[in-house]
Amino acid sequence: MSILQDILVYITVAIAVGYLVKKFLLPRSLFAGKKGNSKGCGNGDCGCH
Amino acid sequence: MSKQIKVALIGNPNTGKTSVFNQLTGLKQKVGNYPGITVEKKEGICKLPRGVKAHILDLPGTYSLNTTSLDESVVVELLLNKNDKDFPDVAVVISDVENLKRNLLLFTQIKDLKIPAILVINMADRMVRKGISLDIDLLEEKLNTKIALVSTRKGTGIDKVKELIADYKNLSVEPNIDTTVIAPEYFDKLKSTFPNEDLYKLWLVITQDVNFMPIEKNPITIPASFKTKSKPELKRLQQKETILRYQFINGILKQAYKVDVNAAKGLRATLDKILTHKVFGYLIFFVILLTIFQAIYDWSSYPMDFIDALFASGSEWVKNTLPPGVFTDLIAEGILAGIGGVVIFIPQIAFLFLFISLLEESGYMSRVVFLMDRLMRPFGLSGKSVVPLISGTACAIPAIMATRTIENWKERLITILVTPFTTCSARLPVYLIIIALVIPDGRFLGLSYQALTLMLLYLIGFGAAIFSAMILNKIMKIKTKTFFVMEMPNYKLPLLKNVVYTVLEKTKSFVIGAGKIILAISIILWFLGSNGYSDDFYNAETIVKQKIEKEGFTDFNVESMKSSLNSYKESLHDSLARNGAILDKQAITDSLQVKEILLRQKAENQEIASYKLENSYMGIAGKAIAPIVHPLGYDWKIGIAVLTSFAAREVFVGTLATIYSVGSDEEDTIKNRMAAEIDPVTKKPLFNLASGISLLLFYAFAMQCMSTLAIVKRETNTWKWPAAQLVFMSLFAYIVALIAYQTLK
Repeated sequence: MSILQDILVYITVAIAVGYLVKKFLLPRSLFAGKKGNSKGCGNGDCGCH
Repeated sequence: MSKQIKVALIGNPNTGKTSVFNQLTGLKQKVGNYPGITVEKKEGICKLPRGVKAHILDLPGTYSLNTTSLDESVVVELLLNKNDKDFPDVAVVISDVENLKRNLLLFTQIKDLKIPAILVINMADRMVRKGISLDIDLLEEKLNTKIALVSTRKGTGIDKVKELIADYKNLSVEPNIDTTVIAPEYFDKLKSTFPNEDLYKLWLVITQDVNFMPIEKNPITIPASFKTKSKPELKRLQQKETILRYQFINGILKQAYKVDVNAAKGLRATLDKILTHKVFGYLIFFVILLTIFQAIYDWSSYPMDFIDALFASGSEWVKNTLPPGVFTDLIAEGILAGIGGVVIFIPQIAFLFLFISLLEESGYMSRVVFLMDRLMRPFGLSGKSVVPLISGTACAIPAIMATRTIENWKERLITILVTPFTTCSARLPVYLIIIALVIPDGRFLGLSYQALTLMLLYLIGFGAAIFSAMILNKIMKIKTKTFFVMEMPNYKLPLLKNVVYTVLEKTKSFVIGAGKIILAISIILWFLGSNGYSDDFYNAETIVKQKIEKEGFTDFNVESMKSSLNSYKESLHDSLARNGAILDKQAITDSLQVKEILLRQKAENQEIASYKLENSYMGIAGKAIAPIVHPLGYDWKIGIAVLTSFAAREVFVGTLATIYSVGSDEEDTIKNRMAAEIDPVTKKPLFNLASGISLLLFYAFAMQCMSTLAIVKRETNTWKWPAAQLVFMSLFAYIVALIAYQTLK
């Protein structure tokens, strides 16, 4: 059980790091076309989502 | 698959284009009762009669096809370029029934481009009240088009619009006006030089540079042999064209549009007189602001305490229910604590957006813009900068995008640079938690000190924005000023649907947008706070136990145990007295001894957790930055929170919630945890008036938002300005916070 919990923690931390890297470090153009721009605060690529 | 009809929604600002767009597409774009909501094109699909589909494009508002700003040029560039993938099959021109004359100027220009055009007359529900009567058949005949009378508020007329779009092929593309009469010789020359091009399109391409920057001219190559006129000459011709159009429009409206002047006046004029008065206008606005901030505090304290307690007990439940282990700890101390730090602010954020939405929907926000315009002119900012600064109270990102309406580049740049000073909703969580900790509960004239402090922070932010604009204005030496013409929308009873939607959407955007970042940062922080590499970290338990044996507990824990034991003793006696029970002395002594053992155990666990945290990866990193933040009155934990909140300001509270959760074995509310933090040097609460004010001022001025920097880069097309903004705002915030702490400590 302890090993399983360790593995789950490492996976969660890796996902969190990956998300922040994607959000702040990788250029937006890499993900262009994945999101429509017709929802949210009025502009999908405004950066606040 | 059948071909979709490409439809462009075009019209003057604040005619309800986005409302028509929402009703056609079923989407829910933001709408508001003031101009400049849409600054970029937006798309959606609409199902038309007979199974036909249309691709709807909502374009920014423009008064004419003679552009004066970046947002307006979006419309012109599209209409002049047939090769554009979005070039419309049909243009739906949205107009406002009360301003039809001005709206028709744009309509006739579009019609003269030989694009099939439908005229939608919106806000039809106001016709009776305003004494307006329309002869639609005559209008259709004279304008050579089809007309739909629509009320987006009541949801009427949209089906007619859909029918007209579906039948767009039957629309006439005959121009309304022969523009060549304004300069026959010049147009003849144009025709002979470009025999295959449409004359009015050529004319628009040539005259775009007159008022604004050159637009994309790829569709037409102008040979060197063709000598165009000088800018002043072209401008004069453009004015002649406008006069010609208005003559045409006046002629039609004289017959087809009647207004009962007595009905048109009345309440609006009286309200405007009061609300935009040079003294009462500001007083009323000030009172409204006070009411808003007071309400934010009064109304949201109960749900806020409830959410805080809910997350604290949630963490405890997770720890007691799930199998013990690191992942359970991550959920209880990292994820729940971090998310709790965002969710707790939902009531305040919702109330803030409720008030903003009511002000926007009612039409009052436009009067505020008018008031602010008068206030800001002495500081060198034009009225067009007011809209971005006011919308910056929600979020700096759409506010910076709203600067596209400013035609003068330097003026636009200054507005972009100063907008992040206005207090955005992301600052609210930081302000609320710090104010709750360091500002006393008392009241002044019925208003709480806390609400007054919050309002003061908003005013400081706004003041910083206009003061820096004044300095930048002097440095950049702007000579030509943007003229600000704003249409005052009518007062409307806010539509419940729009208000509820705005509140839900904005709150969701805050929770999900910021929540994802806070969740990710909380997980990483928990990991860094729960792991380390040194012997001190791994042997924390032994080291702390030996230390307690030799030197005893820390002074704070000794004091804390004493006071807890005394409270327990008192409550025990009270409880016995209340119930009329009698216990012998030995039983009371035993009970107190058990309580003392429990308290000692708790204190020991607390010191172990705290020692581990100090020697974890996060502790080591925090101590490395401690010398920088210490002069501001912050310890290393606050330093870490300041650092992580560089991603987004609201991360600050979530970070502290996670750090204090890792550094403690007790589940408690965020506020209580922060209040219990003790400065190791002064032995007093860490969050005191001096450090609290220092933190509030730091967040009032610092550029703690990566998304804003990214958007500034996009809008200025260089990293130079966001970098300058970051350095200046961070340094300024640091210096102000330093002075505040050193003065007040």
